[in-house]
Amino acid sequence: MTPEETNTLLMKRPFFRFLGFTIVNIEEGHVAAQMPFSESYIGNPVMNYYHGGIIASVMEAVASVAVWQDLRNRSLKPINLTVDYLRPAIAEPLNVRATVLRKGRRMASVEAVSWQAEPEISVAKGLFHFLLA
Amino acid sequence: MLLKEQQRFEQISTLWITRAKGFITHMNLRIEGHGPDGVTVRMPFNPAFCIDEPPTLLHGGVLTALLDSVFGLVNFIAIDDISTMATLDLRVDYLRPAQSRADVLVRAKCYHQTRHIAFNSGVIWFDDDKGDEVARGCATFALTRGERNLFDIQTTPRKPE
Repeated sequence: MTPEETNTLLMKRPFFRFLGFTIVNIEEGHVAAQMPFSESYIGNPVMNYYHGGIIASVMEAVASVAVWQDLRNRSLKPINLTVDYLRPAIAEPLNVRATVLRKGRRMASVEAVSWQAEPEISVAKGLFHFLLA
Repeated sequence: MLLKEQQRFEQISTLWITRAKGFITHMNLRIEGHGPDGVTVRMPFNPAFCIDEPPTLLHGGVLTALLDSVFGLVNFIAIDDISTMATLDLRVDYLRPAQSRADVLVRAKCYHQTRHIAFNSGVIWFDDDKGDEVARGCATFALTRGERNLFDIQTTPRKPE
């Protein structure tokens, strides 16, 4: 599926519309996305940094797309996540790249990383497990 | 409970809600109360946080954001001289699909603190007949202690150098 077709499907889901991210690249086991900044994503009201939960949410969303993009007929249930926050995310677009580390018959494990200006300067890294039903 | 503790809880809760901005405002949180088990906060059902149509199923990320937010609140309440904090890491287990149109309740606490780190845990359930737990999470926060807290910085201008 192309990024355009995927975006059309994703935008049918209310919370993905709220997050407003766009899939920019899809390869086998890899998905890249970009999310423009919005006032609604602020967590720290003094510094206008992104809310940590918004960063975790968009990383989980992109991680699920990385698993789901080549098994559309199966449903995906999130099991758990761990996210490490490395530096604050400022009021600018946020990039996310998700990589499928393992995809078995019942479970998939996906790593996601987010950054802003430089891909090497990570904002957060996370590991997401999904049950394939 | 000591009167002073109750006053502190009420003061911080009010400030936290009124000074909030961004996603915390969107979640429309209401602080229900506090006790030895922690602080309880209500998030009304919001169709914009769902990933199905018609909306019934909350995205897990919303539960994660809710825990992260309430951990921040409990740290402001639990730590007297807190100035600022930042989430270091967060782990959330999704115990069952978050499928209900009921309000979400979260109870969270700061179960340990050191000079630089706060340790948090919390649980989320639906305010319906079953009251099933939908998620549990834990986190650590990096703390900055000082006389000026987050709310002072917002309300009082910096003294000229």
